[in-house]
Amino acid sequence: MKERDASGQETGDKWEIQLRKGCLELAILAALWDGKLYGLEILRRLESGSDLIVSEGTVYPLLSRLKALGLVRSEWVESDAGHPRKYYALTPAGKQRVREMAGMWARFSGSMSKLLAPLARGK
Amino acid sequence: MAGDVQQRIEAYLSRLRGRLRGVNGEEVREIVEELRSHIMEKAAASGEVTAAGVDAALAALGSPEELASQYMTDNLLARAEVSRSPLQILKGLFRWASLSVAGFFVLLGSIVGYFFGVVLMLVAVAKLFHPRTAGLWTYPDSTGSMELSFRLGFGSVPGVGKDVLGWWIVPIGWLLGCALVMLTTHIAVWFVRQYRRSILLPRN
Repeated sequence: MKERDASGQETGDKWEIQLRKGCLELAILAALWDGKLYGLEILRRLESGSDLIVSEGTVYPLLSRLKALGLVRSEWVESDAGHPRKYYALTPAGKQRVREMAGMWARFSGSMSKLLAPLARGK
Repeated sequence: MAGDVQQRIEAYLSRLRGRLRGVNGEEVREIVEELRSHIMEKAAASGEVTAAGVDAALAALGSPEELASQYMTDNLLARAEVSRSPLQILKGLFRWASLSVAGFFVLLGSIVGYFFGVVLMLVAVAKLFHPRTAGLWTYPDSTGSMELSFRLGFGSVPGVGKDVLGWWIVPIGWLLGCALVMLTTHIAVWFVRQYRRSILLPRN
Protein backbone atom coordinates (compact mmCIF):
# COMPACT_ATOMS: atom_id res chain seq x y z
CA MET A 1 0.00 0.00 0.00
CA LYS A 2 1.97 3.00 1.18
CA GLU A 3 5.60 2.36 0.49
CA ARG A 4 6.64 5.82 1.54
CA ASP A 5 7.79 4.84 5.01
CA ALA A 6 9.13 1.45 4.02
CA SER A 7 12.74 2.36 3.37
CA GLY A 8 14.10 3.22 6.77
CA GLN A 9 11.76 1.09 8.79
CA GLU A 10 12.53 -2.29 10.18
CA THR A 11 10.43 -5.20 9.04
CA GLY A 12 9.37 -5.85 12.61
CA ASP A 13 7.80 -2.42 12.95
CA LYS A 14 5.89 -2.79 9.71
CA TRP A 15 4.67 -6.17 10.78
CA GLU A 16 3.39 -4.73 14.03
CA ILE A 17 1.58 -1.92 12.22
CA GLN A 18 -0.08 -4.40 9.88
CA LEU A 19 -1.05 -6.58 12.81
CA ARG A 20 -2.66 -3.69 14.65
CA LYS A 21 -4.39 -2.49 11.52
CA GLY A 22 -5.78 -5.93 10.86
CA CYS A 23 -7.33 -6.07 14.31
CA LEU A 24 -8.90 -2.64 14.16
CA GLU A 25 -12.18 -3.63 12.52
CA LEU A 26 -12.73 -6.38 15.04
CA ALA A 27 -11.83 -4.02 17.87
CA ILE A 28 -14.31 -1.38 16.70
CA LEU A 29 -17.13 -3.86 16.18
CA ALA A 30 -16.39 -5.42 19.57
CA ALA A 31 -16.43 -2.00 21.26
CA LEU A 32 -20.00 -1.58 19.99
CA TRP A 33 -21.16 -4.91 21.37
CA ASP A 34 -22.63 -3.43 24.56
CA GLY A 35 -24.48 -0.65 22.83
CA LYS A 36 -24.21 2.47 20.74
CA LEU A 37 -21.20 4.78 20.98
CA TYR A 38 -20.06 7.86 19.10
CA GLY A 39 -16.70 8.23 17.38
CA LEU A 40 -14.72 9.73 20.23
CA GLU A 41 -16.14 7.23 22.71
CA ILE A 42 -15.08 4.39 20.44
CA LEU A 43 -11.60 5.87 20.24
CA ARG A 44 -11.37 6.25 24.00
CA ARG A 45 -12.60 2.75 24.57
CA LEU A 46 -10.03 1.35 22.17
CA GLU A 47 -7.27 3.34 23.82
CA SER A 48 -8.19 2.43 27.37
CA GLY A 49 -9.25 -1.15 26.78
CA SER A 50 -6.43 -2.26 24.55
CA ASP A 51 -2.94 -1.22 23.61
CA LEU A 52 -4.03 -0.66 20.03
CA ILE A 53 -2.53 2.64 19.09
CA VAL A 54 -5.38 4.10 17.13
CA SER A 55 -5.05 6.90 14.67
CA GLU A 56 -8.15 9.06 14.71
CA GLY A 57 -7.82 9.69 11.01
CA THR A 58 -8.21 5.96 10.45
CA VAL A 59 -11.18 5.28 12.67
CA TYR A 60 -13.67 7.67 11.08
CA PRO A 61 -13.22 6.47 7.49
CA LEU A 62 -13.33 2.91 8.82
CA LEU A 63 -16.64 3.57 10.57
CA SER A 64 -17.98 4.95 7.33
CA ARG A 65 -16.88 1.78 5.55
CA LEU A 66 -18.43 -0.48 8.18
CA LYS A 67 -21.63 1.45 7.70
CA ALA A 68 -21.49 1.12 3.92
CA LEU A 69 -21.09 -2.62 4.39
CA GLY A 70 -24.17 -2.71 6.58
CA LEU A 71 -22.36 -3.90 9.71
CA VAL A 72 -23.17 -0.77 11.71
CA ARG A 73 -25.84 1.89 11.47
CA SER A 74 -25.66 5.45 12.69
CA GLU A 75 -27.91 8.11 14.14
CA TRP A 76 -27.45 11.72 15.18
CA VAL A 77 -28.24 12.52 18.80
CA GLU A 78 -28.36 16.00 20.28
CA SER A 79 -26.02 16.45 23.24
CA ASP A 80 -25.50 18.87 26.12
CA ALA A 81 -22.11 19.69 24.64
CA GLY A 82 -23.85 21.94 22.10
CA HIS A 83 -23.16 19.87 19.01
CA PRO A 84 -24.93 16.70 17.90
CA ARG A 85 -23.03 13.43 18.00
CA LYS A 86 -23.12 10.62 15.51
CA TYR A 87 -23.74 7.36 17.32
CA TYR A 88 -22.95 3.97 15.87
CA ALA A 89 -24.58 0.66 16.72
CA LEU A 90 -24.18 -2.87 15.40
CA THR A 91 -26.78 -4.09 12.93
CA PRO A 92 -27.92 -7.72 13.14
CA ALA A 93 -25.45 -8.47 10.33
CA GLY A 94 -22.73 -6.71 12.31
CA LYS A 95 -23.49 -8.74 15.42
CA GLN A 96 -23.33 -11.93 13.43
CA ARG A 97 -20.08 -10.84 11.82
CA VAL A 98 -18.35 -9.81 15.05
CA ARG A 99 -19.28 -13.16 16.62
CA GLU A 100 -17.73 -14.98 13.68
CA MET A 101 -14.65 -12.78 13.82
CA ALA A 102 -14.28 -13.33 17.55
CA GLY A 103 -14.47 -17.08 16.96
CA MET A 104 -11.78 -16.93 14.29
CA TRP A 105 -9.68 -14.77 16.56
CA ALA A 106 -9.95 -17.23 19.45
CA ARG A 107 -8.97 -20.19 17.27
CA PHE A 108 -6.14 -18.29 15.68
CA SER A 109 -4.71 -16.90 18.88
CA GLY A 110 -5.06 -20.31 20.53
CA SER A 111 -2.98 -22.01 17.89
CA MET A 112 -0.45 -19.18 17.85
CA SER A 113 -0.06 -19.41 21.63
CA LYS A 114 0.61 -23.11 21.34
CA LEU A 115 3.20 -22.44 18.70
CA LEU A 116 4.82 -19.74 20.79
CA ALA A 117 4.79 -21.71 24.05
CA PRO A 118 8.44 -22.81 23.75
CA LEU A 119 9.50 -19.16 23.59
CA ALA A 120 7.61 -18.36 26.77
CA ARG A 121 9.27 -21.24 28.62
CA GLY A 122 12.68 -19.91 27.71
CA LYS A 123 15.56 -21.99 26.35
CA MET B 1 -15.00 30.62 21.11
CA ALA B 2 -12.54 32.90 19.41
CA GLY B 3 -13.05 33.61 15.73
CA ASP B 4 -9.65 32.48 14.57
CA VAL B 5 -10.11 29.13 16.25
CA GLN B 6 -13.41 28.69 14.45
CA GLN B 7 -11.70 29.74 11.27
CA ARG B 8 -8.99 27.15 11.66
CA ILE B 9 -11.58 24.39 12.01
CA GLU B 10 -13.54 25.63 9.01
CA ALA B 11 -10.38 25.89 6.89
CA TYR B 12 -9.55 22.27 7.70
CA LEU B 13 -13.05 21.07 6.95
CA SER B 14 -13.28 23.01 3.73
CA ARG B 15 -9.98 21.51 2.51
CA LEU B 16 -11.42 18.10 3.36
CA ARG B 17 -14.69 18.86 1.57
CA GLY B 18 -12.77 19.96 -1.51
CA ARG B 19 -11.01 16.60 -1.65
CA LEU B 20 -14.14 14.49 -1.30
CA ARG B 21 -14.86 14.71 -5.00
CA GLY B 22 -17.60 12.49 -6.30
CA VAL B 23 -18.95 11.61 -2.86
CA ASN B 24 -22.64 12.49 -2.73
CA GLY B 25 -23.64 15.70 -0.98
CA GLU B 26 -25.51 14.11 1.88
CA GLU B 27 -22.55 11.91 2.72
CA VAL B 28 -20.09 14.80 2.56
CA ARG B 29 -22.31 16.71 4.98
CA GLU B 30 -22.36 13.75 7.36
CA ILE B 31 -18.60 13.31 7.23
CA VAL B 32 -17.93 16.99 7.81
CA GLU B 33 -20.48 17.28 10.64
CA GLU B 34 -19.13 14.23 12.37
CA LEU B 35 -15.57 15.52 12.23
CA ARG B 36 -16.60 18.99 13.35
CA SER B 37 -18.33 17.43 16.32
CA HIS B 38 -15.22 15.36 17.04
CA ILE B 39 -12.85 18.34 16.82
CA MET B 40 -15.03 20.50 19.07
CA GLU B 41 -15.34 17.85 21.71
CA LYS B 42 -11.67 16.91 21.58
CA ALA B 43 -10.59 20.55 21.77
CA ALA B 44 -12.89 21.22 24.68
CA ALA B 45 -11.69 18.20 26.65
CA SER B 46 -9.98 20.41 29.22
CA GLY B 47 -12.99 22.73 29.59
CA GLU B 48 -12.45 25.70 27.27
CA VAL B 49 -11.90 25.37 23.54
CA THR B 50 -8.41 26.75 23.03
CA ALA B 51 -6.33 27.33 19.92
CA ALA B 52 -3.80 24.81 21.17
CA GLY B 53 -6.58 22.29 21.79
CA VAL B 54 -7.94 22.74 18.28
CA ASP B 55 -4.49 22.44 16.75
CA ALA B 56 -3.86 19.24 18.66
CA ALA B 57 -7.23 17.82 17.59
CA LEU B 58 -6.56 18.66 13.94
CA ALA B 59 -3.05 17.25 14.09
CA ALA B 60 -4.37 14.01 15.55
CA LEU B 61 -6.74 13.62 12.59
CA GLY B 62 -3.90 14.00 10.10
CA SER B 63 -3.95 16.14 6.99
CA PRO B 64 -7.33 16.72 5.31
CA GLU B 65 -5.90 15.30 2.08
CA GLU B 66 -4.84 12.05 3.73
CA LEU B 67 -8.15 11.78 5.55
CA ALA B 68 -10.14 12.45 2.38
CA SER B 69 -8.19 9.82 0.49
CA GLN B 70 -9.13 7.23 3.12
CA TYR B 71 -12.79 8.12 2.68
CA MET B 72 -12.52 8.23 -1.10
CA THR B 73 -10.93 4.85 -1.62
CA ASP B 74 -13.68 2.92 -0.03
CA ASN B 75 -16.35 5.22 -1.35
CA LEU B 76 -15.25 4.68 -4.94
CA LEU B 77 -15.01 0.93 -4.47
CA ALA B 78 -18.32 0.80 -2.64
CA ARG B 79 -20.00 2.60 -5.49
CA ALA B 80 -18.28 0.42 -8.04
CA GLU B 81 -19.61 -2.59 -6.18
CA VAL B 82 -23.27 -1.59 -6.40
CA SER B 83 -22.92 0.17 -9.71
CA ARG B 84 -23.72 -1.25 -13.12
CA SER B 85 -22.17 1.70 -14.87
CA PRO B 86 -18.89 0.89 -16.61
CA LEU B 87 -17.70 4.45 -16.00
CA GLN B 88 -18.27 4.21 -12.26
CA ILE B 89 -16.65 0.80 -12.16
CA LEU B 90 -13.58 1.95 -14.07
CA LYS B 91 -13.24 4.90 -11.69
CA GLY B 92 -13.23 2.53 -8.73
CA LEU B 93 -10.81 0.21 -10.49
CA PHE B 94 -8.41 3.06 -11.22
CA ARG B 95 -8.34 3.80 -7.51
CA TRP B 96 -7.83 0.13 -6.67
CA ALA B 97 -5.09 -0.19 -9.31
CA SER B 98 -3.23 2.59 -7.54
CA LEU B 99 -3.27 0.49 -4.36
CA SER B 100 -2.39 -3.00 -5.49
CA VAL B 101 -1.15 -5.17 -8.31
CA ALA B 102 -4.35 -7.22 -8.21
CA GLY B 103 -6.31 -4.04 -8.82
CA PHE B 104 -4.10 -3.21 -11.75
CA PHE B 105 -4.79 -6.53 -13.45
CA VAL B 106 -8.52 -6.31 -12.84
CA LEU B 107 -8.45 -2.83 -14.34
CA LEU B 108 -6.49 -4.06 -17.35
CA GLY B 109 -8.87 -6.99 -17.93
CA SER B 110 -11.88 -4.74 -17.62
CA ILE B 111 -10.52 -2.23 -20.10
CA VAL B 112 -9.93 -5.01 -22.63
CA GLY B 113 -13.41 -6.45 -22.02
CA TYR B 114 -15.13 -3.10 -22.38
CA PHE B 115 -13.05 -2.20 -25.40
CA PHE B 116 -14.04 -5.28 -27.40
CA GLY B 117 -17.65 -4.98 -26.27
CA VAL B 118 -17.81 -1.43 -27.52
CA VAL B 119 -16.04 -2.30 -30.78
CA LEU B 120 -18.56 -5.06 -31.50
CA MET B 121 -21.47 -2.71 -30.91
CA LEU B 122 -19.86 0.04 -32.98
CA VAL B 123 -19.34 -2.29 -35.93
CA ALA B 124 -22.94 -3.45 -35.67
CA VAL B 125 -24.10 0.15 -35.87
CA ALA B 126 -21.62 1.07 -38.60
CA LYS B 127 -22.94 -1.76 -40.78
CA LEU B 128 -26.25 0.10 -41.05
CA PHE B 129 -24.49 3.13 -42.49
CA HIS B 130 -21.76 1.41 -44.49
CA PRO B 131 -23.41 -1.82 -45.63
CA ARG B 132 -20.74 -2.66 -48.20
CA THR B 133 -17.61 -1.98 -46.15
CA ALA B 134 -18.31 -2.38 -42.43
CA GLY B 135 -18.23 -5.73 -40.66
CA LEU B 136 -15.89 -8.51 -39.68
CA TRP B 137 -13.46 -9.06 -42.51
CA THR B 138 -10.78 -11.58 -43.22
CA TYR B 139 -7.70 -10.57 -45.14
CA PRO B 140 -4.62 -12.41 -46.21
CA ASP B 141 -1.77 -10.74 -44.34
CA SER B 142 1.80 -10.31 -45.55
CA THR B 143 2.75 -13.89 -44.74
CA GLY B 144 -0.23 -15.27 -46.59
CA SER B 145 -2.24 -16.48 -43.59
CA MET B 146 -5.67 -14.99 -42.96
CA GLU B 147 -6.33 -12.45 -40.26
CA LEU B 148 -9.59 -11.18 -38.84
CA SER B 149 -10.34 -7.51 -38.59
CA PHE B 150 -13.27 -5.36 -37.57
CA ARG B 151 -14.06 -2.61 -39.99
CA LEU B 152 -16.18 0.39 -39.25
CA GLY B 153 -16.61 0.87 -42.98
CA PHE B 154 -14.62 4.00 -43.65
CA GLY B 155 -12.58 4.03 -46.82
CA SER B 156 -13.08 2.05 -49.98
CA VAL B 157 -14.29 -1.50 -50.43
CA PRO B 158 -11.28 -3.73 -49.78
CA GLY B 159 -10.07 -5.43 -52.94
CA VAL B 160 -9.04 -8.66 -51.38
CA GLY B 161 -10.66 -10.09 -48.29
CA LYS B 162 -14.13 -11.17 -47.41
CA ASP B 163 -16.93 -9.86 -45.23
CA VAL B 164 -17.40 -12.94 -43.04
CA LEU B 165 -20.72 -12.26 -41.34
CA GLY B 166 -22.50 -9.95 -43.75
CA TRP B 167 -25.67 -8.58 -42.20
CA TRP B 168 -25.38 -11.05 -39.35
CA ILE B 169 -22.86 -8.67 -37.76
CA VAL B 170 -25.79 -6.46 -36.72
CA PRO B 171 -27.57 -8.85 -34.34
CA ILE B 172 -24.41 -10.75 -33.44
CA GLY B 173 -22.42 -7.57 -32.80
CA TRP B 174 -25.14 -6.17 -30.59
CA LEU B 175 -25.74 -9.33 -28.63
CA LEU B 176 -22.10 -10.24 -28.22
CA GLY B 177 -21.09 -6.63 -27.50
CA CYS B 178 -23.76 -6.19 -24.83
CA ALA B 179 -22.95 -9.60 -23.37
CA LEU B 180 -19.27 -8.76 -23.19
CA VAL B 181 -19.89 -5.41 -21.50
CA MET B 182 -22.24 -7.05 -19.00
CA LEU B 183 -19.88 -9.93 -18.36
CA THR B 184 -16.96 -7.56 -17.82
CA THR B 185 -19.08 -5.54 -15.40
CA HIS B 186 -20.07 -8.65 -13.48
CA ILE B 187 -16.56 -9.97 -13.20
CA ALA B 188 -15.14 -6.59 -12.19
CA VAL B 189 -17.82 -6.13 -9.54
CA TRP B 190 -17.16 -9.63 -8.25
CA PHE B 191 -13.45 -8.85 -7.86
CA VAL B 192 -14.15 -5.53 -6.17
CA ARG B 193 -16.48 -7.28 -3.75
CA GLN B 194 -13.86 -9.91 -2.90
CA TYR B 195 -11.28 -7.21 -2.40
CA ARG B 196 -13.49 -5.12 -0.13
CA ARG B 197 -14.34 -8.19 1.95
CA SER B 198 -10.70 -9.15 2.17
CA ILE B 199 -9.55 -5.81 3.49
CA LEU B 200 -12.33 -5.79 6.02
CA LEU B 201 -12.57 -9.34 7.21
CA PRO B 202 -9.90 -11.78 8.24
CA ARG B 203 -9.60 -14.72 5.91
CA ASN B 204 -9.87 -18.30 7.09
